[in-house]
Amino acid sequence: MTSRCILQTALLVYFSTTVLAVNYDLLRFQLSSSSVECQNLLLQLNGTTKDCIKDRMNFKFPEEIEKPQQVQKEALLLVTLDIFQKTSDIFRKNLSSTGWNEIIVNNLLEKIHWQIEHLEEILEKIKEEENFTWDDRTLLPLKRYYLRIVRYLKAKVYSICAWKIVRAEMLRSFFFLDKFTNYLPN
Amino acid sequence: MLWSQNASPIRPQNLYLVVYISLMFGVLSSLPDLSDQSCTFKVTLRNFRVILSWELKNHSIVPDRYTLQYLVISIPDHMKTVEHCSNITASFCDLTDVWDVLSETYAVTVDGFRGNTTLVTCFIDFFLATHISLEPPEFDIVDFTDHINVNVNFPPVIPKILDGKVLQFYLPLIIEEQSGGIVKKYNPTLDENVTGNFTYVIDNLLPNTNYCISVYFKHRNLEEIHRSPVKCTLLPPAQDTGSSESAKIGGIITIFLIAAVFISTILILKRVGYICLRNDCPNVLNFHNMSSWVFPEMPPLEAVAFVEVIHTNRKKKVWNYNYDDESDSNDETAAPLTNTGGYTKHGLVGGLLGPTSASSATWEDCLEPYTEERDLSEPEADTEPLMALGPKPGGSECTSGAHEGRGKLLQDPFSEEDSSSTEESGDKIIFNVNLSSVFVSALDDDGSEGPPASPCFPEETYNLEDSHRLETSFLEAPGEGTQPSFPTPSAECPWPEDVLSDISDSSESGVDTGDGYIMR
Repeated sequence: MTSRCILQTALLVYFSTTVLAVNYDLLRFQLSSSSVECQNLLLQLNGTTKDCIKDRMNFKFPEEIEKPQQVQKEALLLVTLDIFQKTSDIFRKNLSSTGWNEIIVNNLLEKIHWQIEHLEEILEKIKEEENFTWDDRTLLPLKRYYLRIVRYLKAKVYSICAWKIVRAEMLRSFFFLDKFTNYLPN
Repeated sequence: MLWSQNASPIRPQNLYLVVYISLMFGVLSSLPDLSDQSCTFKVTLRNFRVILSWELKNHSIVPDRYTLQYLVISIPDHMKTVEHCSNITASFCDLTDVWDVLSETYAVTVDGFRGNTTLVTCFIDFFLATHISLEPPEFDIVDFTDHINVNVNFPPVIPKILDGKVLQFYLPLIIEEQSGGIVKKYNPTLDENVTGNFTYVIDNLLPNTNYCISVYFKHRNLEEIHRSPVKCTLLPPAQDTGSSESAKIGGIITIFLIAAVFISTILILKRVGYICLRNDCPNVLNFHNMSSWVFPEMPPLEAVAFVEVIHTNRKKKVWNYNYDDESDSNDETAAPLTNTGGYTKHGLVGGLLGPTSASSATWEDCLEPYTEERDLSEPEADTEPLMALGPKPGGSECTSGAHEGRGKLLQDPFSEEDSSSTEESGDKIIFNVNLSSVFVSALDDDGSEGPPASPCFPEETYNLEDSHRLETSFLEAPGEGTQPSFPTPSAECPWPEDVLSDISDSSESGVDTGDGYIMR
């Protein structure tokens, strides 16, 4: 009887840890899929840049993310979370001049919001388990990058051309994010 | 480059992708076409070359040459003209060496001219990573009996848009195997700078089976996945392998049959009774308690009394007797031995009795009768002093076992002597002893009553004073005057000759003991 209880407890603990443990394979797939889905949603926002050539801008995506060398999983998750958060903040600004389909924009924001919550839960779990500390200086280039975008939009008074240029830049950022998430450990 | 098959063909990521793709299919299918009002564009990766092609929607307009310009949205430069794509008659352009970033949004302008007149101008901007169509690479297969080598032809130089681990993460190579309605996908890991022929081995295949292979790049946009035409092959039958496997299976079955027959035979014999296996074995065969079997218990210790043996070294003196009567010397029993010192050793008793007594009793056994004997020898010894020393019924080993020897060996000499001397001179035994000897026999009419039993005196169990008294008691023993008290070396125990020697030495003056002896 005692041995049976011990066996059941051991199995419960094993499966609990298995379920509660972070499955990085699944997380990598989720992040990659979210990136691709966000790209596709952005591509559905119609509008050509034919008349916006003069409004182009190099926002200088951070090289640390574009060409990562060795990234810890905590840093990778924090960068990913920050990209989603900043993208959501940008697309919550004034979009009235764009004439984009609001449904597609809302779908994009919902997708980003779901991914933000998921990443926050995972990071909270990792903080409890591994008690890691994070240096905000790693996120500084990323913050500056998104700050440039916001300033650009403000400078262009949220014009349609500015939004089209920003949309193209967001496609780039999601592409880099898709590649970046492949560095998650197995 | 040869790669072995070391990954599971179906990975969880692929399963997730299938589910995810099915959910996203509606979204992906609604991606905008690369077209404007006048042209339709298509960008393709064909044989690892980036090809941009276009087609005019209005077929009535037929330009005779085209000029292509492009710009990158994220780089605020002027429109660039591609030299090898200027004034071309073909409606496509190879931009492999021009476009080097897959993650960019390119804006392309194509002008159609006829003469000096611009007939048409087409503009398109597209995100290259999403809109590029990946045509499958060229490959060939080499079939073997149980595996297929898939050789994928990579160019000597990989285009720039595929650098940076794009082929590993973003556009992975997929090798698809189809056989009998079952599709298996393999995802070989490619190096960052893979060039030339890339060989992937699909092993563990069944001989004499048809397999079809196709290769493609997995794209994020499912619409842009283009599988290669399948290449099928029928693997040759492997006769050797089949025969060896059948032989192995037959051997295994044979072993099982033999084991089954053996076990069933044992069971039948046991059931019938030919084999009787007992569970309760006798104690001799009980090996459960191995420790006691290996280390047997020690027998209980016997009570042991320690005896302290004190060795006293004394100068030995030999009783030498000088027999004047030569006739006696011929007597076997009296057998005097002439010593070099001029004495004649009376060795008739000691020489005969030594070994027998030593084998029949120990000196401890002799101690007890001696002590009894000493008590008897004092007052009551008047009548039969030496006979009391004789064997007693129920006595110790010294007086029983050893006495037998004594009865024979001690008495025999005397009996023989009796037969020789007693018969002649009655009960008297006359020793002619040299004056230098210790004891001198005096003729006594009483005669000896019989062969005396020689007492046993362990030399280590009494002290010197006792020996004196003992000797005195013997010497002073009245009556019989025979030589039983003659201190010959013990018949059954080693006689303390040295003690007697001391006594003899101490009685130099010669004292008449009253029993016919003169003690010197």
